[in-house]
Amino acid sequence: MDSMMLTHYLIIGAILFCMGLIGFITRRNLIIMFLCTEMMFQGVSLSLVAFSRYHCNVTGQTFVIFVLTIAAAEAALALGLVVLLFRRKRTLDANAWSSLKG
Amino acid sequence: MGLPAASSMPGWGESAGLWIKRIPMTAALYIASVVGAVALYMMMPRRGYTPVRFGFLLGACSLGGLWLFLGRELPAITGLPDAAAGYYYLFGAIAIGAAARVITQTKPVYSALWFVMVVLAVAGLFLTLEAEFMAFAMVIIYGGAILVTYVFVIMLAADSGDASNDEDTPEYDRLPREPVAAIAVGFLMLSLLLSVFAMHSEDGSTFPQNYQAQSESDAFVITNELTHRPITELEARIKAKNPDAVMPADLARKDKLDNIEKVGLDLFKSHPLGLELAGVILLVAIIGAVVIAKKRVEDDAPIQEEG
Repeated sequence: MDSMMLTHYLIIGAILFCMGLIGFITRRNLIIMFLCTEMMFQGVSLSLVAFSRYHCNVTGQTFVIFVLTIAAAEAALALGLVVLLFRRKRTLDANAWSSLKG
Repeated sequence: MGLPAASSMPGWGESAGLWIKRIPMTAALYIASVVGAVALYMMMPRRGYTPVRFGFLLGACSLGGLWLFLGRELPAITGLPDAAAGYYYLFGAIAIGAAARVITQTKPVYSALWFVMVVLAVAGLFLTLEAEFMAFAMVIIYGGAILVTYVFVIMLAADSGDASNDEDTPEYDRLPREPVAAIAVGFLMLSLLLSVFAMHSEDGSTFPQNYQAQSESDAFVITNELTHRPITELEARIKAKNPDAVMPADLARKDKLDNIEKVGLDLFKSHPLGLELAGVILLVAIIGAVVIAKKRVEDDAPIQEEG
């Protein structure tokens, strides 16, 4: 463990976060867009746990529990919304709702 | 010039040769970012032929280069990286490769399944960070509960057609939206984050290995929180019924707390309000999901069945 550095883990966390960001922008399927936000959560959780290990302070891991809670709540609400939107237009295409831009 | 310093002081924190080492490091990180961006663009689905394999190969090359580079920065005196370092590279590669497949896969179900792979790899990384409880909670909650919900909704809201046939996948899954701009933005942000890390990694941010601070805080918790606490009647009753039960007084006799004991103490002692709020948020989410997804029957709609 002595050869591992905080930066190593932060790099993976940052890569996961940016992959989720790219996926959220490029994918047009509503469900996959929300899946990509979950991937951003993964990157953030990894950074939090790495910082927790680095500072020998377990509060970082406690925070990940709260992140998990928010992710679960978000999944429930977002997927409910997706089902509702799918019933209206019979498609998961995010562009189908571009009329909401006003 | 930097070599003697490297053998005396491990990590990126060598004060001698700092400038020599720092410039190639940021440059290497940027090069890896750019190559990774090109690889990801190749893997993005498009009209006609998509060079997924070539993009995957290129991405693996960039990741391998990054890994080699990070490995080169490992302290010279330790020689081979230890087991945790090996697992770090393994799980990190799995996580990033699976993440690339999540965002380039044309079929939503496969995207969700690749995301399970990401979750498992991140759980492995948590294990190398000695966060056992979070690793298993991640697998159970993300891989078990949340992903099952996602897959269920994907199945429920599937448009039509045969999933094994590529032509039947709807167009919005087959063609990405603004891939060039998105990848440019994403990797610009990644380069920004990486340069910040490179700037701050000079002070040798290796993980503490002797747990001195950790055991000190453990001892503080044990002596201050647990021993000066009288054994309650309930605890005595449980202890009489089940001698194997672990009571706070038993924890006080240990000199080191487990990960889960530490997380539990921190969660319930330092963040009780957050815990309550999390419960409220979950309750609100449950009620909201039911209200949103409920099928509304119009008032003037004919009632189909009368009891």
